[in-house]
Amino acid sequence: MSTVLARRARLERALLLSPVLLLLALVVAVPALRVLLLGFTRTELADGVVTSWAGLATHARTLGDGRFLSALRNTALFTFLSVLLEVTLGTALALLLDRSFRGRGALRAVVLVPWALPTSVMALAWAWIFHDTFGMANDLLLRLGLIEAPVAWLAQPGTAMAALVVADAWKTTPFVALILLAGLQGIPREVIEAARVDGAGAFARFRRITLPLLVPSLVVATLFRSIQAWGAFDVVWVMTGGGPGGSTETLALYAYQSWFRYLDFGYGAAIAVQGMLVALLLAAVVVRLASRREEA
Amino acid sequence: MSRREAGASAVLALLLAAPACRPGGDAAPGRPAVLRMLVPANERPFWLPLAESFAKARPGVRLELEEGPVPTDLRESLTTSALLSRDGTWDLVYLDVTWTSKLAAAGWLLPLDDAFGEAERAAFLPQALAAGVFRGRLYRVPFRTDVGLLYYRADLLAAAGIAPPRTFAELETAARRLQSPPERWGFLWQGAQYEGLVCFFLEVLHGHGGSWIDPETLEVGLDRPEAEAALALLVRARGAGGVSPPGVTAYREEETRHLFQSGRAVFLRSWPYVFRLAQREGSAVAGKIGVLPVPTLSGAPGSGTLGGWGLAVARASRQPEKAIAFVRHATTLESQRLFCAPTGFAPARRDGYADPELLAANPFLAELGKIHASATARPVVARYAQASDVLQRHLTGALAGLATPREALAAAARETRALLGEAP
Repeated sequence: MSTVLARRARLERALLLSPVLLLLALVVAVPALRVLLLGFTRTELADGVVTSWAGLATHARTLGDGRFLSALRNTALFTFLSVLLEVTLGTALALLLDRSFRGRGALRAVVLVPWALPTSVMALAWAWIFHDTFGMANDLLLRLGLIEAPVAWLAQPGTAMAALVVADAWKTTPFVALILLAGLQGIPREVIEAARVDGAGAFARFRRITLPLLVPSLVVATLFRSIQAWGAFDVVWVMTGGGPGGSTETLALYAYQSWFRYLDFGYGAAIAVQGMLVALLLAAVVVRLASRREEA
Repeated sequence: MSRREAGASAVLALLLAAPACRPGGDAAPGRPAVLRMLVPANERPFWLPLAESFAKARPGVRLELEEGPVPTDLRESLTTSALLSRDGTWDLVYLDVTWTSKLAAAGWLLPLDDAFGEAERAAFLPQALAAGVFRGRLYRVPFRTDVGLLYYRADLLAAAGIAPPRTFAELETAARRLQSPPERWGFLWQGAQYEGLVCFFLEVLHGHGGSWIDPETLEVGLDRPEAEAALALLVRARGAGGVSPPGVTAYREEETRHLFQSGRAVFLRSWPYVFRLAQREGSAVAGKIGVLPVPTLSGAPGSGTLGGWGLAVARASRQPEKAIAFVRHATTLESQRLFCAPTGFAPARRDGYADPELLAANPFLAELGKIHASATARPVVARYAQASDVLQRHLTGALAGLATPREALAAAARETRALLGEAP
């Protein structure tokens, strides 16, 4: 009797889930599969878009493609720097917002404004901030005496990458802070109080109690942000277009160019797939490290 | 949720996923047929009179103008995705001078050779027309044109007793004498990693007697001494003690125009649209500017890069005959007057430059006509976009000091050859 009921329940569950699964299959699985397959084809423009099976040949093209390697390097650098900055600043911000003070509710709302802005809009604003002649960054730094002459931020490889990281951190630190704030609020106050009674200072309490208990939230925030930063497109597109000299071109930008400007659909797919594989690998490493740390 | 509701949502999901209904192309009897075209939002008001005059000339057909984003690259992707789906969303394509080869090679455009015979073709500026020909067939009819120019501060040059420069050396000397950076720079150009840099570099390259890609033989001239000299000139201009601001490698047209228009530069390389904006009321340089052909090594008038927009018919259009009729209509002198007089854009027809009505609206056209006559089109090759990107990357690499001009151009030449070699 009970098995019949269980089977019915299972059937019902499957039936209830099916519309969502179907929708997901159509909007996620089908396009993803299509891209995966496309990566094994060669696209030629010969009086029409001619697609032929290429096996691994299209994927192998990335090996000899300096531009792919440079985009991979740029993407990794951008991801590492921006996530590092965001998690650091986000932790500080979360600790601040976790304390009780007047106007905390209002501040918590205001902090989210950058996150709510469309990326292209904020990127445009940052491009003007870093403008060498009209920009606020130069004006401010000159007044403070930190630089002697205006810096052409977006015109040099190193500073262009730095400008991108700053703009991205400005936008997404609130997101990290929000996740970490939720994590902080899940930490029982009694534990921290007990440490205080035992004579632990503020830093020791943070280092020995808050931080270890915050690790799951840190992992989630780092993962989310790394995956997003790995696919960075809009901020780069608007601020530098990948320049100068391709020094800020990301994989997403290169894949986009291959599709929409070169009509090289096979190679664009290969770039996207390989980029995704590296991202998955990185994600696996992060999760692995974190889980080992938790066990320890 | 009951089981019936679950079933209903499954059906709903299927309906949502079903392909959206295609927009009807053919007219129901009694209702006018509709032709669709994507134009940049800022140009739409000037297209409306053309749509009106077409409706009068061709009752029963209506042109619907869809507003697209103003930046060219965004419309390029929109156009690409619409043509890729072959659903006949747009019957007409309003396309940049560099898109022809790619869209034609993809088989998305209708050849217009039969519709535009020899006599009709002779009415257009030859370079503008040639830019629409791919592998011997005409795909794009020029509508309006652009050409690279050198703007200068006539007042500053006159006060210092300097004649308008004809050679690169004269330009550099004059720029150096009259500049006082960072308040006022000598020479502004488009140096960001984008198509505009290629346009400017080609002018300097041709001015040195060099070449990029021969569209016929696919010969690449980037690793010759002329090209190195051309790039070295730009690197020097941007370097310490040079005549161009270090930030020039991040500038596109508008950044350079704003600086020039606020009186912060002596020379500017740009397109004809700057003239009207710089001369209007409120501009710090109104009445103080002059226009020259781009300079050369020898002093002979240089050859500006040809830009501009044209019209093509989508192969997926279900009413090609009507679409061709519109292309024909939009490229008559009468239509060119309607569009160019209020905007100041340069017409693609030769007779537009001698037309009293257009000259009255825009006296600058007379000068522009002369400069247009020697303009150079960018090579029409199927992989133009890749070739341009290769050049952009290595040019900005050299400008940013990542490589010497020689190294950068050698790499660009190698990559360009590989690219053209593998093209079908």
